[in-house]
Amino acid sequence: MAYIIFLGLFGLVFGMIGVASNPSPYYAAFGLVLGAASGCLILSGFGITFLSLILFLIYLGGMMVVFAYSAAMAAEPYPEAWGNMSVVFYVLFYCVVLGMGLGLVDSIDVLSIVGEFSVVRSDWGGVSVLYYSGGWLLLILGWVLLITLFVVLEVTRAVKYGSMCL
Amino acid sequence: MTLTNLTIYSTFMMAMAGLTLHRTHLMSALICLEGMMLAIFIGLALWCSQMDSMSLSINPMALITLSACEASTGLAILVATNRTHGSDLIKNLNLLQC
Repeated sequence: MAYIIFLGLFGLVFGMIGVASNPSPYYAAFGLVLGAASGCLILSGFGITFLSLILFLIYLGGMMVVFAYSAAMAAEPYPEAWGNMSVVFYVLFYCVVLGMGLGLVDSIDVLSIVGEFSVVRSDWGGVSVLYYSGGWLLLILGWVLLITLFVVLEVTRAVKYGSMCL
Repeated sequence: MTLTNLTIYSTFMMAMAGLTLHRTHLMSALICLEGMMLAIFIGLALWCSQMDSMSLSINPMALITLSACEASTGLAILVATNRTHGSDLIKNLNLLQC
């Protein structure tokens, strides 16, 4: 497991070198995706599986928006469809990965019950504190997200007034 | 200083140097900001793991929410710049004094 964590740390630094060395934004976004995936590897190596999942879903999902924006500016002329051989290769590859992963996570569970006692994994339980006793924090964070929606709408519109009024 | 510590620090400092020193596109600067947020997130998550404290794991969740707000506002500014000035080059913005 120490070698996997070392691999993640190396990938994090390597991806951040790729970001900081001023490439075109298309490749910089790819470097950041590499860094985030390595971060997921580090966190799951230390046993923080839920925050690793959050990082993978939210952060990489947000990065995909940036990445799609860059890719739209440099669109490729011949996109690959379902009939190509490379797509079939990827389908087979993911089937193999799915089988291996199923064997890997078979014995892991959130709640471990030993006799009369039960133990919850610390990161899952810790995040659920946010929804139990951290009510005001949750409310403020949701309010911030709502405000951000209106900020984005106000910045990007150019009808009568707003930041882009010419 | 352990290897993990060094990695988190050096990731943050490298992303900050990349943001500060020499950027061609505004979008590269936004990506560097995201890299700094990634370093802080991993540091906070490892902190609450190594402290063996459950309730500290709220902090990475709050950080990643605010990071999403920051990224979306930055992208909105990028889109607005692209529509009013035609490109997102930093040199162009310096030249036009906007």
